[in-house]
This record gives sequence, C-alpha cells and structure tokens, in this order.
Amino acid sequence: MDEIKAVYIHIPFCKQICSYCDFCKFYYDQKWVREYLMALEKEIKDRYMDEKISKIYIGGGTPSALNNEELDYLFAIIKLLNLDDNIEFTFECNLSDITEDLIDKLIANRVNRISIGIESFDPEKLEFLERNADFEDAQRKIEMCKAKGLTNINVDLMYALQNETLKMLKKDLKLFLKLDVPHISTYSLMIEPNTKLYNKKIEAIDEDLDAKMYETICKTLENEGYEHYEVSNFAKPGLASKHNLTYWDNEEYYGFGLGASGYAFRVRYTNTRSLTKYITGNYVMEKEMLGEKEMMDYEIILGLRKTKGINLKHFYEKFNVNLQNQYPVDDLVKSGDLIYKDGNIFINPDKLYIMNEILIKLV
Amino acid sequence: MENSHIRNFSIIAHIDHGKSTLADRILEICHLVDKRQMQDQMLDSMELERERGITIKLNTVKLNYNFEGQDYILNLIDTPGHVDFSYEVSRSLAACEGAILVVDASQGIEAQTLANLYLAMEDDLTIIPVLNKIDLPNADVPKVKKELMDVLGFKEEEILLVSGKTGEGVKELLDEVVRKINPPRIDKTSPLKALIFDSYFDPYKGVVLLVKIVSGKVKVKDQIKMMATSSVFEVTEVGVHTMTYQSLDTLESGMVGYICASIKDISKVEVGDTITLENNPASEPLKGYKKMKPMVFSGIFPTESSRYDELKEALEKLKLNDASLTIEPETSVALGFGFRTGFLGLLHMDIILTRLEREFNLDTIATSPSVIYRVTLTGGDVIEIDSPNKMPDKTKIVKIEEPYIYTSIIAPAEFIGPIMTLCQNKRGIYKTTDYINENRVNIHYEIPLGEIVYDFYDKLKSSTKGYASFDYEVSGYKESKLVKMDILLNGEVVDALSVIVHETESYNKGRAIVQKLRKLIPRQNFEVPIQASIGSKVIARENISAMRKNVLAKCYGGDVSRKRKLLEKQKEGKKRMKMIGSVEVPQEAFLAVLSEDE
Repeated sequence: MDEIKAVYIHIPFCKQICSYCDFCKFYYDQKWVREYLMALEKEIKDRYMDEKISKIYIGGGTPSALNNEELDYLFAIIKLLNLDDNIEFTFECNLSDITEDLIDKLIANRVNRISIGIESFDPEKLEFLERNADFEDAQRKIEMCKAKGLTNINVDLMYALQNETLKMLKKDLKLFLKLDVPHISTYSLMIEPNTKLYNKKIEAIDEDLDAKMYETICKTLENEGYEHYEVSNFAKPGLASKHNLTYWDNEEYYGFGLGASGYAFRVRYTNTRSLTKYITGNYVMEKEMLGEKEMMDYEIILGLRKTKGINLKHFYEKFNVNLQNQYPVDDLVKSGDLIYKDGNIFINPDKLYIMNEILIKLV
Repeated sequence: MENSHIRNFSIIAHIDHGKSTLADRILEICHLVDKRQMQDQMLDSMELERERGITIKLNTVKLNYNFEGQDYILNLIDTPGHVDFSYEVSRSLAACEGAILVVDASQGIEAQTLANLYLAMEDDLTIIPVLNKIDLPNADVPKVKKELMDVLGFKEEEILLVSGKTGEGVKELLDEVVRKINPPRIDKTSPLKALIFDSYFDPYKGVVLLVKIVSGKVKVKDQIKMMATSSVFEVTEVGVHTMTYQSLDTLESGMVGYICASIKDISKVEVGDTITLENNPASEPLKGYKKMKPMVFSGIFPTESSRYDELKEALEKLKLNDASLTIEPETSVALGFGFRTGFLGLLHMDIILTRLEREFNLDTIATSPSVIYRVTLTGGDVIEIDSPNKMPDKTKIVKIEEPYIYTSIIAPAEFIGPIMTLCQNKRGIYKTTDYINENRVNIHYEIPLGEIVYDFYDKLKSSTKGYASFDYEVSGYKESKLVKMDILLNGEVVDALSVIVHETESYNKGRAIVQKLRKLIPRQNFEVPIQASIGSKVIARENISAMRKNVLAKCYGGDVSRKRKLLEKQKEGKKRMKMIGSVEVPQEAFLAVLSEDE
C-alpha cells in the first residue's frame, strides 16, 4: 500500500450550532481552544510518521471561528507536517468570518482552496437550518478571494428541507451558479440522531420530490459545465477535490483532532468525541482492522460513488484479484445496474440515487 | 406415606388474580425454597411466562406440610388462567381431588373465574373459595364475598381471606386444604392405570411423562404400555417433582409424579392416554378428558425455506407438551413449504410463534388466522375447511357456515354501551345480560369466532379501559354470507394473503388491507400495484411507488465506516423479507389482514 498522503484536521468549535449538524462540535470558548490546540499538537507528534503530505483539509466545526492568535498556533502545528510542494490545502470557512486579513493569513500559510458552507440563500431554508447567508455579501467576499488569487473555491448547497419546493431549489441553484465558483457540493438533508432537527422530530420530505430535486441539480449543474464526479459533488474540469477523492479512492489518510476519522496502516479509526479524554491523550475511540475482503468491500462501496467508478486494472493491481471473480459484477451489468465501459465499472447514472440497493447486491 | 396423608390440588383463578404469587407463598411455607433463593413466580419456569406474568404450561410440585403434628404431602398442580388454555386447566384438574378458587378481593368475579370453576365442578372437585389481595387498599371484602355467595353459591364461612403478597391467611388455607380436600382414592391391587396429564421433552431423559397413578404401581424396568397407541416401553426412571427431579423406586396409586422410558418418538405418546403394564394390563383405559379442539388455524412458514426441517422438528417438540397444537404440512405458492397449524386461540398462536423464535431461533412467517368453515357443496357433500385457499369455487357452493361463540363479558355496568357497540360491529347477536351485583354485569352475545380472532380482545380492552374480562364457549355453526377475498401483488394472487370475509364487509376490509400493505411493503425498484379482489372483480387498489432514493448523500471520512454498517443493516433487513414473485415483502405484511384499522 502507498504511503499516506492526506491529512484531515478537525476544529470542533462553532459560534453558532446548525440545526442539522451531527459533527463533533462545541460552542467556541477561548480557554478550550487553547487547550485543544495543545492536545492536537501532541496527537500529531504522537502519531504522524513523517510521510510526505500532498492533501490537507482543515474542517469542522468552524475552523474560521478561531481568532488570529489561535490561527497562528494552528498553522504552526501544521508546520510539523512534511508538506509537498504541490499541495492541495483546503480550509473550511464560514461566510461571515471571511475578511481580507483572514484570506491574507490563509494564503500566507499555503492554503490554496477554501470551502464555504453557504447551504442556501433562501430565508425560509436558512431559518430552518439555523444559519445566515446573504447573496450580495457572498458575491463580494468570493470576488475578494479570487482577486487575491484564491480561486479554488467550493460552496455547499443543501436541499430536500422541510417545506422546500422545487421552485425554491431552482432559485438557489441560480444564485449559486452566479457565484461562479469551480466546485459545488450538494447535500440532501439527512436527519441524524443527536441533531436539533432530530430532537424536534422533523421528518424527511417526500422521496419522489427529493429524487426530483437531485435530478434538477444534476441537470442544471452539468448544463453549466460542472462535471458530476461523485454522488453529491460537482466540479469544473480538473478541479475536483483531491482530498475528498482520497476517501472515494479508498486511500489511507490521517484524521487528527476530536471526533476525526482516519484510515492508516489498514485500520479505520474514529477519534473520541470527549474533549477531556482527548486532552489526556486518549485519542482513539473505535478501531476497525481491515482484512483483504473488507478492504475490497470498501474499495467498491466508495469507488462506486464516483461517476467514473472503479478501474478494473487498478483494482487488480491493488488486490491481485479480478473484481469480476470476487463480486457478481457481471450479473449487475446484465441487469443494467452497473455499466462497463473502457475498463471501468460504474453505476448506471439513472440509478445513482438508489445505489445502496446495488451495493447490497454486490458486497 | 399413608395415602390418607396425600392431597392433590390446583389453584384456579382469572388471570392476574394473584395465583402465582400465592403459589410462591405456599412454596415458601412448605420450605421448598427459602426466602433468599425465592424468585417471583417460581412455578412459571418458562422465560415467557415470567415476562408476561402469566402461566402457560402447568407445573407440578410436591410439598411437605405438617398439620396438627402429622406430615402430609401436598401435590400442587399449577394451571394457566387464560381462556386459550382452558384445556390445560382441565388436564391439571383431572389429576386433582380439589381446587383453590382464587378471586381478587378488589376485582371480584371475572370471566375465567367462572369458566375455571365450571371445569372444576365437572370433575367433581372440592372447591375452596379464597379472596386474595386483601392487603390492597381498594380491596372490598364484603362486596366480593357477597358476589361469591350470590353468584357462585358459596357459604360465607367457607370463604377464606388471604394475601399472597404478605402471606396473611396462607397457613390457614393449607390447613383447610388438608381438612377439606379428599385424599386420592387408592387402589393398589388392580392393574396399573396411570393418567398422562402432561409431557415434555428432556434432552437427556427423552420424553418425560407427568402422571397420576390411579391404580396399581409402576417401577423401574417395568414394561409399560400406552393404551391408545399400544406402544410398549421399558421404564428407566420414576419420581416426583420437587423443584427438580427426585427419583424414587416406585410410584403407586394416589401419587402424582413422572415416568421416563427412553421414549424418543414423540408421536407414540398422547396426553390424556392411560399407561398400564404390558404383562398385567388393565382392561379399560381411564376416562380421558374432553379433548380440546384447535379453533384458529394459521400457516407457519420458515422465512428461509432451507429451514423447513428445523421448523418441523421444533413444532413437533412443542406439540409434545401441548396436545392442543395440531400440525399438518401445507404448501403455499408464495411462501413455499410450511405447516397449517391449529391453535386454541390467538394468544396461544402468539406464544407458539414467540417460542419458535426464542427457543428454536427460527424466523417464521404466519399467515392470517382462519377458523373452520363448514361448506355444503352442490352435490350435497359437506366439507370443513381451515384455510381460505381450500375454499371451493363459488359455483360449487350451496352454503357456508361459520362457528359462533357464546360470550361471557364481565364488566362494570357503565361499559354496557361500548361493549354492545363492539359486539354489534363484530356481527354479534345479543342474547342476555346477567347482573353479578348492582354495578357489574355479565353480557352474553353470540359472535362469529372468525370476528374474535382478529382484534376483539384489544378492542374490548380499549373500549372498557381494561375493566372487562372475556370468556367464551363454542355455541355452534350458523350460515353466513361469506366470500373469499384475494390479494394481488403486481398482478399475482398471493395465496398466503387470502382471507374469508363477510360479504357486507368485503369492500371496507379490502380497502383497509391494501392500504395497510402499502404502508408495510417498502418501495421496490419498480411500481407495484396492490389489489383486493373477489373472484375476478377488483374491489380495492393502491400503488407502491418505485423506490427513488437509497443513498448516503454525503460520504466523507467519518461516514465511511458508518456507511458500511448501514449497508450491513439494510442487507440484514432484506434477508427478513420474502420474495413474492419479484416483490420483497416483509413478514409483518402477512399479518396485515389481522388488524383492520389504523
């Protein structure tokens, strides 16, 4: 297996908690941030084996919630990593946190991609999500980033919210396209346990409408020159997220920080969500050791999320077995669930939104 | 032990009147269990019994008791209280000379109080009436005493007061058992006659027969003969039950105990049969007791068809100590090979299904319960059918009759209205109302049994805030306008979903069933129509839309392991489904026809 190339770092602090969020997060508190960053530094020193890192993603929570001093500390920690010259370095930002100073600082510290959690511009949707966003503000800030040379930008869009109509979604899509960014991630709302929405017993919207919305998104974005490269992700040619492709290519990566997940040395692990445990050095909460079969299962489950699917030759090189010999791929090609083309196996685009049904038959 | 110092008795009661707790106190007083190892409901050995707080299988236990300086043996034979299990009660009673009739001092007489008392009276047993739970603040001793005197004809001085919870009056009750109940009649000289009143399978001993020795004696190495089946076995062990087995040299006339004879073949043993000795046989078997006929029939199928043999074995084992259970092979187009299984009632069915799952780890699908219909054919022949799928073609039928029951519904008078509405809705025919006292009534209706097997109990409970008790006896067959209704999935008749319904209700039921199925059957990869039809006429239709979404929308680092677990879960879920044609149907769907509303 290749050496680890990717690192995810989790910053679990937010100034505002969104109704749908089930990630590991706390209200921002200076005292805790300091302690947390010290622990993060220790975790990286304990676990990182000095591999050359070419993809790094700082997510949250809200990394941009940190103040100047804290950001300096964070970037000092990152200097512990042996970064490749040709790195993709993504930093997650809240729209309201974006300032000239912040962008200057990010650029000075080699950040070359930002991901902005906008989610929607519709007042009703925003209220439901318990978020804020203003279109003019977003447009201005994104222009500013671009002017400073930070052009590789992702924005998140959420849909299938309670009471959302197709019309509302189309309006959102129109505004998002106006932002003219090279990457858009879209998420159909999932109501997860331990979220405000779950506790309020909010129900998912009608399945047919949800599917219709997905169809609309795919069609609209593809018409505008975005490549639909993963179930929920769209990018202008050449600008797919390299870091996120690490996951879908089933490659190893470090996950550092509270509640972060990683995949290193054939172990998939999830860090503790307890701040006190983390600070005392008890990082890992759960471990899954992978055998050959599990590794292949993951390769399929993740690989088929990509619209170009799995390359059969690559699979053979990685596992020394033919995918078709190990899994009932041929049957599913025959039934039209999978498509075989140019040495790749991928999910029939019409069935991408019901891909679990296909995966169940496969693994 | 002198025979005059043996007493065989049961405790009979309506469910929840505190029979098992009273039995616990009796065991304690007789030092069979000390307080520390005391577990609630000692006699209810099945996990299911303790969990539901009911007695299903009878148990027997031998107790030592000292009365006025003399040692006595008291054989306590426990009985179930639920209407479905009156057969078990009658089996217990056949081994007794007397019974303690327990009535809750706050509730008064209930439906099974009467039913069980009548069973005991048929067997000429001595009855000791007892008011239980006198420690409760809402106990009304004078009122309930009066009920026992007015309705059941007991004398005031006969009625004992006890509390199974505190133990008050229990010692006096045991004294009364010794004084009032006759010792078993003894006949040591005649040939062996032993009544089999229960049996069960022990993996080490084979079939264990629970017996009452009426005459003669039996010991190890005797060749015994089952009088009904003529099978012969050599006795390997005899003994009595204390809390475990206590093996003895001989069982003789008057004793209640067990016999093992390395019996492996379950079918050679029939509960109710008489055992005798091969070389000195009795000329006549004992009068068996009324054999209870199953009333409710359902198809039971293994979810995984490869487990048919396991299901067969499990049902046979259950049948061994549950003579009321009947099984015969059945084949369904939709569900494959299984068994048409007869039960005493719905609770009985529920318990058997739960035991299959818990004790035998078998996932099963049960089809909608049916009663036995009597069909007169155009040629004049009369046939009985226990499954909708055996219903002949309409053109060949002159008339269909269905079984009716005669109810005893005991409840506070304020609920007369709701009870009558319920019975009327179930096609009931009003008979009469008896007053137990000024504010409690016993309402009698004739109702088709087929209506009871659906949701009658639940409805009765909810419409009377749980205050009503219910018992019934079969009163006979009456002609009804009945039709077979089929359910079609994706255009194909699913035989396992067919039901027999009254013509006037067919539209409502058909609509209710297809609506329910639409909710229960998950979306498939294509659109699936669900139809209800009578003959070729479709009377209701719903569509299950095609599945449009089953994907984890976002999937990043942390979601990856979770995603795999989610898939595993979905996969497990699918395993529990049954493929009907190309439609995946969850098990619950086959019972959807059970409860009509929601």
